[in-house]
Amino acid sequence: MSAIYLLILGSMVLLGATAVLGLFWAARNGQFRDMKRGARVIFDEEEPVGMPTDVVFKKREPRRRKAAAHP
Amino acid sequence: MSAIAEPPSSIHAPVPDSAVGQIASRAMIDASTRLPVLLFFGAALFWLLAGSLFGFVASWKLHSPLFLADWSWLTFGRIRSAHLNAMAYGWASQAAIGVGIWLMARLCRAPLKSAPVLMIATGLWNLGVAIGISGILAGDSQSIEWLEFPAYATPLLFLAYGLIAIWAVIMFASRQVGHVYVSQWYLLAAFFWFPWLYGTANILIQGIGVNGVALGAVNWWFGHNVLGLWFTPIGLAAAYYFIPKVIGRPVHSYYLSALGFWSLALFYSWNGMHHLIGGPFPVWLVTASIVASIMMTIPVVTTAINHHMTMRGHFHMLGLSPTLRFVVFGAMSYTVVSLQGVSMAFRSWNKLTHFTHYTVAHAHLGLYAFFTMIMFGSMYYIVPRLTQCEWRSPRLIKLHFWLSAYGIIAMFGVLSIAGLAQGAWLNDPQIEFIKTVQVTIPYLMARSLSGVALTGAHFIFAIHFGLMLLRLGRTGPEPTYFENKRHDGGAVEGGQ
Repeated sequence: MSAIYLLILGSMVLLGATAVLGLFWAARNGQFRDMKRGARVIFDEEEPVGMPTDVVFKKREPRRRKAAAHP
Repeated sequence: MSAIAEPPSSIHAPVPDSAVGQIASRAMIDASTRLPVLLFFGAALFWLLAGSLFGFVASWKLHSPLFLADWSWLTFGRIRSAHLNAMAYGWASQAAIGVGIWLMARLCRAPLKSAPVLMIATGLWNLGVAIGISGILAGDSQSIEWLEFPAYATPLLFLAYGLIAIWAVIMFASRQVGHVYVSQWYLLAAFFWFPWLYGTANILIQGIGVNGVALGAVNWWFGHNVLGLWFTPIGLAAAYYFIPKVIGRPVHSYYLSALGFWSLALFYSWNGMHHLIGGPFPVWLVTASIVASIMMTIPVVTTAINHHMTMRGHFHMLGLSPTLRFVVFGAMSYTVVSLQGVSMAFRSWNKLTHFTHYTVAHAHLGLYAFFTMIMFGSMYYIVPRLTQCEWRSPRLIKLHFWLSAYGIIAMFGVLSIAGLAQGAWLNDPQIEFIKTVQVTIPYLMARSLSGVALTGAHFIFAIHFGLMLLRLGRTGPEPTYFENKRHDGGAVEGGQ
């Protein structure tokens, strides 16, 4: 039975505790200060917002059909 | 960094010097991850194929027990565990590590550090998986679900993963951007928690040698948390990166994404004991896990709303981007599988579904329809950026997608129905046990066929990937994004 308590203490509680520590660090580090900018860090001048980056299936049937509809 | 500091002359919009000069260009960062990431992907695909074949043999035996019955190492008890471990540790974990490395470098905005550490980790990891699976086939399985690898294989895996975790810390410390993007939180959590879970479970089981009730607790605490704290965070990290990145639109609500991550991080580790509902086990622990399971609706619903709202108005992009197709399919499956998981934690529903094929359907929905599909999507995005050429055939990608999508939907459907029929009859003492087995046979045959579709999809993808490694991908002036960049004289050149 003692192994269960070891597990609960060592893992269920401590694992959650690491998350609490991380949360404190993030708050003190100002990670939650400017959420709007945070969401945009994956974009920049090279690949700005509004630019799709994976257009592999272009030039396929839908386009040709469109061209046929409006000659 | 200096090599790419000069903006290319032919680019349309001039890039401010400050932006390019300060941080390494995206193409250069991608190129720095090439060797380790491709190694992990290649090894992952090898195990995906091996695992598919193991799965096929196991599945076929369920309705035709005489199939390959003369070899002890192909008996159901061994081949089924070999399938699970090849998929979980060979395929899914290595795909996750590869995608994790690439995302980590991109989100840190820094070229990959300590690549040799990662190469050693690849070698150790694959040695561990190979020894472990050989051990299982030879009859050395530990008979503990998700931890079947014999004791002589697990230290290798732990060592390999320890190296990766240390690498993640080094990489995070060298980051060039102050803000930690939501995907990076998920990655850090996964890289940190997996060795913890794996180490704790193996020390308790092999070191201390727990047994009885405690063994069940350790087993399912690990078995459930490895899904929620290792595969799920990597899958969500990829979804939170690729959906906005592919459609070119920031996440709908960054607040919701933070709420989703932190609620997962704080509560998930209490899950697991709900696998032991009805077992000889302290009821309060099971109840605590049921409560934690229900709490999981918070991260799941926030993530689902967020991804849906991000995609709104951009669903036509699903017709253009293979990455988006796979990742959105995976993200939608995440919502379904998680809410289904919550329902299965209720005692009343669990009474019907426990010990039936319904659970098997649920497991495949999670690890395949959610996780594996997101990994496929991520690989479709990452590999061309590492090999510097396009996927050879968009048609093969479509074939892969539809075989995988229809295959997994069919597998989930037939196994769920089989499970419910089986469960209903198992709960009826008037019905002979053999009938509860016989009722599932037609469904199990259908499941084998769906498995053939999935295996076909995997071989198609592996061949396509092989062509990319041999640089036999397209380089013609096709109107894909990647080609446009090359012809613009854009950042792609910096990678070579």
